[in-house]
Amino acid sequence: MDRVDGTEHYKGDVSQGPIPALLLIILDTNPHAWALLNRDLPLSEAIANLLVFINAHLAFHNANQVAVVASHCHRAVWLYPRPGSSSEGVDMAGGETPAINDANKYRPFAQIEDQLLTSLRDLIQTTTPDDVASTNTTQMAGALTLALAHINKATLAFSQQIGGTETTADHLGSSDDTSGLQSRILVLSVSGDLAHQYIPIMNTTFAAQRMRVPIDILKLAGDTVFLQQASDTTRGIYLQLRSPQGFLQYLMMAFLPDQTSRKLLVAPTQEVVDFRAACFCHRKVVDVGFVCSICLSIFCSVPEGAVCLTCSTHLSLGEYGSKPAVVPRKKKKRRKLNGGDDTPSRPGTPVPNK
Amino acid sequence: MAPALKASALYKKKEGTLSITSNQKLLQWVPREGDKTVVITVGDIANLQQTPETAAKVMLKVFEKSADAPESVTHVFQYNSTSNARGEANAIKDTLSVLLAAIKANDGNVTTTASAAIPITSAVASNQGSASAKWYDDDALKLDIELQQSLMKKDQPLHRTYTEARKTKPDTISDSQFNSQFWSTRTNVLRAHAVEKNQKRGSYNVLSAVKPKVVDNELKMNISAEQIQLIFSQHPLVKRVYDENVPKLNETDFWSRFFLSRLFKTLKGERVADADPTDPTFDRYLNGSNENRPNQRLLELHIPNIINLERNEENQGGSKGGNRPDFTMRPGESAKVPIVRSLNSLSEKIMAHVAPSDIDPADPIGMDEETFNSLALRDLQGSAKENRIILNIKQQSQFFANETPEVSTEAALYAKQVPTEVLSQIRLELSLKEVHGRDGKGIDLGKAIGVIEDSDSDEELHHKIPHVGSKASIANATKQILEGVKSRRIEIDGSDAKSSLSGLSQRIFERLVLTHATTTEFLHHFWLLFLSGDPDRAGELAKMVETLERSMDRISAVAEDAETERNEVIRIERQRVRDLYEKTGKRLKWSADAVGGGKVIVKAMMEPTIKTLQKASKEYKKALAVEGIDTY
Repeated sequence: MDRVDGTEHYKGDVSQGPIPALLLIILDTNPHAWALLNRDLPLSEAIANLLVFINAHLAFHNANQVAVVASHCHRAVWLYPRPGSSSEGVDMAGGETPAINDANKYRPFAQIEDQLLTSLRDLIQTTTPDDVASTNTTQMAGALTLALAHINKATLAFSQQIGGTETTADHLGSSDDTSGLQSRILVLSVSGDLAHQYIPIMNTTFAAQRMRVPIDILKLAGDTVFLQQASDTTRGIYLQLRSPQGFLQYLMMAFLPDQTSRKLLVAPTQEVVDFRAACFCHRKVVDVGFVCSICLSIFCSVPEGAVCLTCSTHLSLGEYGSKPAVVPRKKKKRRKLNGGDDTPSRPGTPVPNK
Repeated sequence: MAPALKASALYKKKEGTLSITSNQKLLQWVPREGDKTVVITVGDIANLQQTPETAAKVMLKVFEKSADAPESVTHVFQYNSTSNARGEANAIKDTLSVLLAAIKANDGNVTTTASAAIPITSAVASNQGSASAKWYDDDALKLDIELQQSLMKKDQPLHRTYTEARKTKPDTISDSQFNSQFWSTRTNVLRAHAVEKNQKRGSYNVLSAVKPKVVDNELKMNISAEQIQLIFSQHPLVKRVYDENVPKLNETDFWSRFFLSRLFKTLKGERVADADPTDPTFDRYLNGSNENRPNQRLLELHIPNIINLERNEENQGGSKGGNRPDFTMRPGESAKVPIVRSLNSLSEKIMAHVAPSDIDPADPIGMDEETFNSLALRDLQGSAKENRIILNIKQQSQFFANETPEVSTEAALYAKQVPTEVLSQIRLELSLKEVHGRDGKGIDLGKAIGVIEDSDSDEELHHKIPHVGSKASIANATKQILEGVKSRRIEIDGSDAKSSLSGLSQRIFERLVLTHATTTEFLHHFWLLFLSGDPDRAGELAKMVETLERSMDRISAVAEDAETERNEVIRIERQRVRDLYEKTGKRLKWSADAVGGGKVIVKAMMEPTIKTLQKASKEYKKALAVEGIDTY
């Protein structure tokens, strides 16, 4: 009956067409690093290129969504959607006129641009020099956690919107990705020294793997520790830029296709992955270490008293580390009862030839 | 076995009883009064001596050598039984010598790894019981040459690795040591092979497996003696017929008529059509019973009363009243559907001979706890308490308060920066015209990204650092991305066989693989010895180092061969090009670089192995230096 009168056409079944995607960008705003990068890629130009990229993403599908998180030196902050802005809005009587009122600019693009820049400026205004001096690195783990929570929320909201009563618990674990929102995370990273956040970052990586959210990494500066593993486990793309001036080209060519398109394309990700881990005691990056057999925590050297630091079980070492013995032990000469020879090297008494 | 032997004997001038315990493990002397019992483990007895028959006194001297005592201890027992001292002494002596002989034979199986290999003569004498003990005994597996050889016959690459390694081992390592080293890492493979060999085929339904074949217009049938045995054990009726008729008929006649007769069809379970030929000898038994002793097995089974349905017969009318079961399920009517019945009974018989997998014959009769648990009604009980183990995860942050971590390069650079400057710079950036819209208009993104459509690349080359969005930088970016795509693509498509050999011929490649396998083998042993820290094995260690040097030489030898081969190919190609030129006057462009293979490739392929070899010898020399031994 449906086919005759064309009801299918009007149902608005979103899953028939291309599936909308949520792109979540984590912008690493470590001031030290950006100051160093100023010669090659100033922050202003980077932001401009990023806005063009966001506009391109939104242009692909009218239900595409985007969100931006700033991973700053001492906290992770939402840049877009601006926190609290959704509660404002129409209710505000005589509220602020939208800052950008350009008739030549597509309204959603203008809105994003405005919110992003305002949030970023606020963030920098509220940063004190002490904050900047206190740390070398950025709050990547916090930003990743915020990102994953937002993805979860958006996926739930989306499936409620189209499906009504479907439970999304199946969606998150199911192998068929043809329904629901497709999300991915893009990390623009400029800082290294993430060894202290090894455990939280690995936790978010495994959560993303579970949720089938690829984590793409675009590395502008800084050492790579652990982010390679994150992108490798979640089947994302890892790129370290050789020419930062071509920033927009990298974004558009490698990071724009969404998950369905990526199945048909060959991704230009870096193939050699650094699989080292950080030890739990000193946060040093190690490739050979000791592992507790109960809780699998990694140590660079034997912990004190051979007690594991996380699960407090006493561990024993076995034969490891004994000094290699290259000299045979000197045998004590014993006198045997039967008078048998134990010194074969001594020549026997010469016997005259018969 | 013989009961515990007792004899009255004197030990150190005290009276008492000398006896062997019933499990034949201990020889003990218990004094008449007092408590100085002497217990000697039969396994520890090194030697026995007894006074000869002609002597007046009957004495037994036992040399005991236990594992932890430094010297052997002698015990002297004097038999003082008034009636039968000599007889008792002889009895004890005979029993002890038999026990000792048995122990010595078993000792031949178990040796330490350092000793030379003793061929297993008792492998022939060992029975089924000791076979399973042998499987779990690593040392026994290492010494079982037959097993090793059959494994190598089965597994060709293993055989090749073995012969190659054996050919190239240095002469200082003896054959037996080499054997024990080689097999000590492969004990699990040996064990699996031994278990596999030991599996036997279970009994099967012979009658349906036996089929006549048509050869040259006459029916031929091959039956093995084993199959005949199986037929007799599965169908006692056939055995009876055979016993009664065979002296009169001869064997071949008997069997050929049997397989054509109605009896055979009945036993197989097929319906007997009226068209089948009748056979006077066999048809007598058509109604004979095929059971050993009916219901004998049923009586042996002990069915728990809670599921025993036969008991129900006594309660109600049983199955006699009520609905009649299906005609296949009706007891007693064998003519209608014989196949169901005969197959079932045959399967039961076969299964009765198979060792039961779920019943332990040592279990007590009656219900044990497991069956009770499976029959109990669990739903009516509450839910079980959770039995979790709490892990105490401690907070580790307090451990790092005093750590001064290493400073990375970025951190060093950051330390040079002044925070206030940094901040002000960022603020400046963000207030630049490009990103700060004025008068309610947004940013002009077109200008902001800096892509100048019509610019010439020449202009941009003037700048030392191209500006963001210049054509050159975009081109570089594209190039990097495409390189990445290309290398991924190669991985995805897989490399074809030709390129994976990299120009080496198949023969050289196989030699290289073999060399690699043997080198890995030797390296494995070297590291095992080296890291074990056992000073007794230091001599073996020195020999291993020699072996490693030989491996290095072998790799170079393969490289040389590859090089000569490559030169040969180049020569042929050059000749061909020259010939072509002479014939046709055409000049072909060809360079020797196009030919792959050769020493370079071999060295590149074996590079990790070469590095490991160098590392191993370096570590060894370092350890020697620590000990203060000069290496020349």
